[in-house]
Amino acid sequence: MTLPHPLVKFRPSWQLILTLLMFVFMYLPVLVLAFFSFNASPFSAGWGGFSLKWYAKMISDGRMLSALQDSLLVAFLAVMISAVLGTLMAVGLARYKFPGKGLYQGMSYLPLIIPDIAIAVATLVFLASLAIPLSLWTVVAAHVVFCISYIALVISTRLTGLNQHLEEAALDLGATPQQAFIKVLLPQLMPAIISGCLLSFVLSMDDLLISNFTAGGGTTTLPMEIFSRVRTGVKPDINALSVVLILGSGILAFAAEYIRFKGDQQQLGK
Amino acid sequence: MPPVHPSNSRFSGRSPRLSASRRRFLQLSGAALSGAVLTNCARNIGGGSTDASPASPASSSGGGDNTLHVYSWSTYIDDDLLKSFEQETGIKVIADIYDSNETMLAKIQAGGGKQYSIIYPSDYMVGQMAELNLLSPIDKERVPGYSDLLAQWESPSYDVDNTNSIPYAWGTTGLVYNTEVLTKPVTDWSYLWDNKKQLSGKMTLLNDVREVMGFALKSLGFSNSSKDPKQIEAAYKKLAQLKPSLSSFTTDGWRDQIVVGDLLLSHAYSVDGIDVMASNPKLKYVIPSSGATVWTDTIVIPKAAPNMDAAYKWIEYTINPETAATVLTRLKFATPNQKTLALLPQELRENPALIPPDAVLEKCEVLANVDSATDLYDRYWTQLTSA
Amino acid sequence: MATSAPLPPVPGAHPSTDTVAAKLKRKLVSLVQPTVLLGPAGIWLFLLLVVPTLMILELSLIPGFRPGEPAGAYGLGNYTKIFELIDGQPIYLWVIARSVLFSVGSMLICLFLGFPVAYWIAIMAPKRWQNLLLVSFVLPLWTSSLLRSYAWITILRPTGVLNSLLGVFNLPPVDILNTQTAVMIGLAYNYLPYMVLILYSSLEKLDRRLLEAASDLGATPQQGFWKVTVPQTLPGIAAGCLLVFITNLGDFVVPELLGGASSMTMARLVYNQFLGATRNWGFGSGLSMLLILGVSIAIALLLKYGDQKAEDF
Repeated sequence: MTLPHPLVKFRPSWQLILTLLMFVFMYLPVLVLAFFSFNASPFSAGWGGFSLKWYAKMISDGRMLSALQDSLLVAFLAVMISAVLGTLMAVGLARYKFPGKGLYQGMSYLPLIIPDIAIAVATLVFLASLAIPLSLWTVVAAHVVFCISYIALVISTRLTGLNQHLEEAALDLGATPQQAFIKVLLPQLMPAIISGCLLSFVLSMDDLLISNFTAGGGTTTLPMEIFSRVRTGVKPDINALSVVLILGSGILAFAAEYIRFKGDQQQLGK
Repeated sequence: MPPVHPSNSRFSGRSPRLSASRRRFLQLSGAALSGAVLTNCARNIGGGSTDASPASPASSSGGGDNTLHVYSWSTYIDDDLLKSFEQETGIKVIADIYDSNETMLAKIQAGGGKQYSIIYPSDYMVGQMAELNLLSPIDKERVPGYSDLLAQWESPSYDVDNTNSIPYAWGTTGLVYNTEVLTKPVTDWSYLWDNKKQLSGKMTLLNDVREVMGFALKSLGFSNSSKDPKQIEAAYKKLAQLKPSLSSFTTDGWRDQIVVGDLLLSHAYSVDGIDVMASNPKLKYVIPSSGATVWTDTIVIPKAAPNMDAAYKWIEYTINPETAATVLTRLKFATPNQKTLALLPQELRENPALIPPDAVLEKCEVLANVDSATDLYDRYWTQLTSA
Repeated sequence: MATSAPLPPVPGAHPSTDTVAAKLKRKLVSLVQPTVLLGPAGIWLFLLLVVPTLMILELSLIPGFRPGEPAGAYGLGNYTKIFELIDGQPIYLWVIARSVLFSVGSMLICLFLGFPVAYWIAIMAPKRWQNLLLVSFVLPLWTSSLLRSYAWITILRPTGVLNSLLGVFNLPPVDILNTQTAVMIGLAYNYLPYMVLILYSSLEKLDRRLLEAASDLGATPQQGFWKVTVPQTLPGIAAGCLLVFITNLGDFVVPELLGGASSMTMARLVYNQFLGATRNWGFGSGLSMLLILGVSIAIALLLKYGDQKAEDF
């Protein structure tokens, strides 16, 4: 719907120009990376002709691939655990009142608020004081902390708009609480769970600090590998890798948005 | 596993009835338990030596007989070396890399080091780690080639008689500069201060407390391992003058930038200096005339090493003159072993950047462990980097 | 790891009021569900977040604590160290001031660049394109923050993209990489999408009839904007600003990669205290606590004055 409104007419469209400029600003770095990933010259200083060699190099780069594998494994495990714990927590928080609920809720938001660096050093101190050897599992355990929060947050926003009577009706009709939970509540929450999982998956794949402080035993996540390469002078296969990653997470982002959008539509439909 | 604080996990469906006294008791006991866990925290991390010794090999993932965890500078680890070692011995090597001695020490102390059976600390760090009781003495019977060490490394000052470490590679720390722009040859450290206008924003120093403080001390005519607070302070003040002109403190990040011309001068390890000279012939590595650091990277076995046998096999394999010479030719660092040296191609042996002439080496100095002055160095370093 | 930990003790019913055993049992059963729902996540967060935070609180009270050395007596040394004068300069206070300056600077950039964008998308763009526009605007958020900062290195370096472009137009080159300007650009870039999201959700709810009424009463569009739009979106502006502020305050990657030698911030300093040369965990813990405190104050302000809905982002 377009408003034939005086306000729209009067307002000079500098906002549009600025918005376009900002779109350029947002995409410029991404485009620069993509551009240089096809550059034959090894330095991002000049154009040396079109080439796909950095993509070939990336595919044969053992360290990079094993870092990618570690990252995917960490993110997958952390998201799986957090999906279960986060969903239970969000449902529990929506359903019950209990003394200390404020504290509990505060704790559940804490990972969103405390800076990563503080979480990272605190976890390191914790692991060191209990003499727990650093490994892939310590990274997973630390990632679960912030993944739980994000998943629970996304689910909570959906729970507030949910039709509670459905589950009650199921219980009245003789379903056990477990059945009601699995057959009625869970399907309703699924879009939120999935989009929360996608969000925390991306955040886990992106995390540098917490992994850096908790990884050991040969575990190197992709951000750790990229960070050390960015500092040690980058070879253009990183450019190639970023294009692949950007495409990957772009698809994930659209999937998440689409699922959320569909979920909202369903919710409105009811 | 620390107990859960009851007040945080307590809830009661729709009827929260809990007598006040009982609640109080739960809160108090919870607080007491958390308190107990917490007071142990500082003691546990602080203990250090008690913590490091009882390593159970089974506790770490992948600590089995056929894996060897190596913690190293990125320079010494390359895929070819790992592969050939695995082929020869059947032992799988998992390598983690670090970019400063201090990061390595911090991770080891934080409990991340239990998996490692081989570490590559530099000279002064060997002393520091030995003091912290982190190293296991080297069994010389199992290491062939001790007799082949060059005279300077038979009993180095940082580790008398090589009790805890085996010298593996050495080099110097000097300056790399762009000869096309800086036409007057760079000869000494004073060049940095004299030309700081021209170099402003175009020079980097190593991200390494001892190297940076060390060259400032050298430029003032002191020992690079001075323990005199006055001298250390003077060095800090001198560096503080240089600070506004610095682009960054970086150990590796300068390499690409100097090759494409973003930087004009960098404080660098000889290994990296030689490496960038190969990609851009306009670059030159020099050892300043008032003397530089001679560093030695060593191989040590931590006390908590889970796989001693594999560790000795690794040592035997890597310091074997033939393997070492191949690796060295590829990675361009100097060796303290005369047999390995003899196997090097002539152009490497005669490269003054790699192996400087004796007259230059005489002025150079090894970084020694500064014991009690470590704090002072750290303090000035934090100040320098934070200002 | 900790999933197998025993469930927390569930305080049962009060014996004196429960005379029938069945009643007690029912009550216990009614407690099973909340325990199952809230227990596991609660234990996990408590063990791996609350306890660790209390641990660094403790370490922050041991002046100069280092790993591997016996812990000294308790004291406030790590906090007073922040005020230490070195060569007559309060260096650590400068670090804090610099962090705050970066955060405020990038917050203002985000606000002034983000507001027109959010305004255009929420009010001037065709309705059915709004979602798509918004999603595409925030899409770069989903890519690795490290790689985005790395891209800025490529752009800002002396022989980089920016200077090549300036060269084409015969303009003098600029030297931005490894300066504080680079940090501001990097931070503003990273957090602009958040600002736009929050401002959008606030502007979208704007009651346009008020604007019409204002214009009917003879207000110019400028007057309408300042007297109607801005006051109505103030909660969103506050929420956006505080969110950008707190996330910037703890950012490590941008200053580390783009800042060079003269951009030490609190997060970098904390990192260096733990994994860097100094290994002064006590001081590092003190700084972390300060960081947490600063962020908590900002959050408290947000909760008090901010818009509840916008806070969700």
